[in-house]
Amino acid sequence: MNKKILLIGGRSKAKALATSLLQSGYEVTAINASTQDCQKLAEISGLKVLVGDGTKPYILEDANAGSFAMAIALTSQDQDNLVCCQLCKKLFHVQKTVALVSDPAKRDFFHKMGIDSVVCAIATVADVIKQHALVDDIANVLPLGSGQVQITELRIPAASPAVGKKLLEINLPKDIIVGCIMRDNITMIPRGDTVILANDKVVIISTQEQQVPAIKELTGRC
Amino acid sequence: MRLFGQKPANDYTIVIGCGRLGATLASEVSDKNGNVLIMDKDSASFRKLSPSFGGLTQEGNGLDLAALTDAHLENAQVLLAVTDNDNTNIMLAQIAKEVFHVNKVIVRLYDPERQTVYANSGIETICPSLLSSREIDKILVPLPQRPMASATSVAI
Repeated sequence: MNKKILLIGGRSKAKALATSLLQSGYEVTAINASTQDCQKLAEISGLKVLVGDGTKPYILEDANAGSFAMAIALTSQDQDNLVCCQLCKKLFHVQKTVALVSDPAKRDFFHKMGIDSVVCAIATVADVIKQHALVDDIANVLPLGSGQVQITELRIPAASPAVGKKLLEINLPKDIIVGCIMRDNITMIPRGDTVILANDKVVIISTQEQQVPAIKELTGRC
Repeated sequence: MRLFGQKPANDYTIVIGCGRLGATLASEVSDKNGNVLIMDKDSASFRKLSPSFGGLTQEGNGLDLAALTDAHLENAQVLLAVTDNDNTNIMLAQIAKEVFHVNKVIVRLYDPERQTVYANSGIETICPSLLSSREIDKILVPLPQRPMASATSVAI
């Protein structure tokens, strides 16, 4: 399996990501336009570093971009990330392209233009804050499918209206799956007649819109 | 672009980037009585426009979707992306095509290598170094024996 990853731009982002990917066993090459940043990156053992503008076709050619399974564009400029990923895809047929995007309004546009994965740091942070502002007892919210599917783990407080009720008696929004219930170190896959007890940790799978109503029904908090 | 309650104009051009090229293009459109809006991050650049310029100017970042909406890009027939940054122009052109569905999008790209990538994507690209090299070719080679003009770039 091709485990080569190409990182373009970024400074501390490239450093952090490269280190993490190398540890996981990937072969990583980093392209950076600044000689200074490249020197810092070159200190990471195992990392191949190339000085140059990753949005120029000949630089990508020098880096042998066609041999990589994935290209990740980390510059601070959305347009540079866009062009870099498009060149990698169109000219070098890199299978997966990932771009950092600073403007949340442009995420859909990037997907439309053929970028496989789009990461918007600001939107992610905003989501995390929103989740945590909701209920303190929510832990480990895992967004999937570009944030449209959420896996949420919640603790059922003693005061919750759901305590003592069977799952099918609770007025949960439709299309919610209660994946599992963890009680006293035992994990069980619930059925409709499973009764919820106080301090149960419940893992639910839901869409983004139904997450809040589901949390309300299960914990009694808004 | 609504002018005093009339129907939307059907010859509305937007130019992004008021450098020498942008200013010249906008002034030309205006001189031919076309409707034109020119946008630039720096309002001082509008001084490059001809004194008789009768179009609109907008200070703003062409990559900002809100600024493009303010300029009514969705009503424009032509978008000219002529900022000094190739990548900005490419992204601008693609936004104009995919998000605002502008009919004709023309982009100035300095890098001839990039031009080949974007040449067939519904966007018309102009590469100054290629054009210049063709013109210089014509001057260098005497007329009767002139071979087919090649697109090899001569370093300018």
